[in-house]
Amino acid sequence: MRGVFLVAALASVLAVALICLFLFAQGFPAIMEIGPLKFLFGTEWKPKQDIFGILPMILGSVYVTGGAILLGVPIGLFTALFMAKSCPKPLYRFLKPAINLMAGVPSVIYGFFGMMVLVPAIFELFGKRFDMMSGDSMLAASILLAMMILPTVINIAETNLRSVPQELYEGAVALGASHERAVFKVILPAARSGVMAAVVLGVGRAIGETMAVKMVAGNQAVLRLPHEFLKGVRTLTTNIVTEMGYVEHGSLHNGALIATGVVLFVFILIINMLFSVLNRDLPRRRRGKENAPNLSKEGAAL
Amino acid sequence: MKKAISLALIAVLTLALFAACADSSPPASSPDDQSNLNLNRDAGSSPAAQNTPEDPPQASPAPDFDADRVIAVFTREEGSGTRDAFVSVTGVGEDMYAEAVVESETNQILTKVEENPYAIGYISVGSLSSSVKALTLDGVAPSNATILDGSYTLQRPLLVCVNEEKARDELVQDFIAFMLSAQGQAISATKWTAINAAAADYTPSGLTGTLKVGGSTSVEPLMQSIRQAYIDLNPSVTIEISGGGSGTGISEATSGVIDIGMSSRALRDNEKEALEDINIALDGVAVIVNPANPIENITIEQIKAIFTGEITRWSGVN
Repeated sequence: MRGVFLVAALASVLAVALICLFLFAQGFPAIMEIGPLKFLFGTEWKPKQDIFGILPMILGSVYVTGGAILLGVPIGLFTALFMAKSCPKPLYRFLKPAINLMAGVPSVIYGFFGMMVLVPAIFELFGKRFDMMSGDSMLAASILLAMMILPTVINIAETNLRSVPQELYEGAVALGASHERAVFKVILPAARSGVMAAVVLGVGRAIGETMAVKMVAGNQAVLRLPHEFLKGVRTLTTNIVTEMGYVEHGSLHNGALIATGVVLFVFILIINMLFSVLNRDLPRRRRGKENAPNLSKEGAAL
Repeated sequence: MKKAISLALIAVLTLALFAACADSSPPASSPDDQSNLNLNRDAGSSPAAQNTPEDPPQASPAPDFDADRVIAVFTREEGSGTRDAFVSVTGVGEDMYAEAVVESETNQILTKVEENPYAIGYISVGSLSSSVKALTLDGVAPSNATILDGSYTLQRPLLVCVNEEKARDELVQDFIAFMLSAQGQAISATKWTAINAAAADYTPSGLTGTLKVGGSTSVEPLMQSIRQAYIDLNPSVTIEISGGGSGTGISEATSGVIDIGMSSRALRDNEKEALEDINIALDGVAVIVNPANPIENITIEQIKAIFTGEITRWSGVN
């Protein structure tokens, strides 16, 4: 029976290994043919002329993800604090499933929402004043991604905030801190690494999102600066999905798209590593929590 | 309890969605919407289609159309057959405006042009809808008749090609004969333009065998319909259709890996040495704008200027 479990466990590892193998086997020759520096730092992407530079897309991914974090993390964090520390029970019973529902909405639905509501709204608001071509922009993609990472950020941050020993809070209040002060100055710093983990997972979700971003980002492969957030942008994911439909099999263009996938994969690897590093000191605190009841019992006995 | 609340939430969200949609739905279409496009879907094209009337000027060009606004240019992605045809006919070539928004699906171009009053885009004539306005090109509206006689220049051939050896194959000959027959051309006329309205009827040959067809993804939907009709008449023939793009279709047809190649561009001279090409339909590319835009006509030069980024404001277009 243990053999079955082992096979099941190996199957998932095998899947990841195969994906790695495929990506690197197909992507590396293309990177080598284009030249690693030209590929990573080239500012022009013109497949017809065999010019493949993905710097605009790398920066595009960074900007859009950064925007999503900037907009989404404060909202997510405050929501998590509220849900963990101040939320009345009846409201919690409503909020929790609502947030979980948000996590379950397919990304193409978010994309449709963005395309039909966000993009026209942004165009209406800023179009004339800033001479915008259309509402398809970094801003639209960032707002949409901020919405999409909310459930991830909220759920993980909430779990980690809850795992902070109640004694810390009680101690702070006993010393005369108000509820808000105790939450912000004691609980939040205590859960710092867990909150960072929530942010990192949010980054992972945002950087890998494809369909929704493609529908609102404009997809221009042009090098942008951060202050041009009202202009369109192409990310690593949308670069692959936009052009893979017609690409000729075995061509350098095809290889370049797979190589884009390699770069994205490396990004995700880095993010996952960050996540495990941040998660490393979580168990220590949980142990602290287990000890806590004993302490309070002792306190009561005294 | 949780379930009940989730259900209630879904209901509220759905209602909100409907409410939002009701607000943003385009104004009721006027009866002359159809005149945007006078495509005659009938294979035996009637003379009515020959004299496409000029588009009646929009009753009231949207008063709030601001010609000083930036033109929102929407284009297809690199490698798309529609884009290839568009840039080669208009002379945009490789100089596509870098700021142009890139969409990889016809439907998304349609939606974006529908949503944005200052938009311009291009799609296959077969995909036109009444929610956008197709411009006349140098005064010629896209229609079956104008595409067929070549006066609407923004068009591309949909063709099949075979090498010399395959051209002698009975089954290949029979299948191609079917494409050019009245039945085959009727299928070409459903979404594209038939090249021969007075073709002879096809009679089933009773042949057996397998055919491999591959190439252009633009021709693929047409080929799928033709295949279905052909197999209905010749049940013992199997036809496999694969995509891959015009380039793949041409090279594999040359080498004989597939029996019949599909292409949505004319063959180059060096390709013609080894291949025989047969036009089976024509496909027009329509230049579309938002109905709120007062413009009715555009010239090839203006299209080129817009899509290379020379003209960026509607006031620059006459």
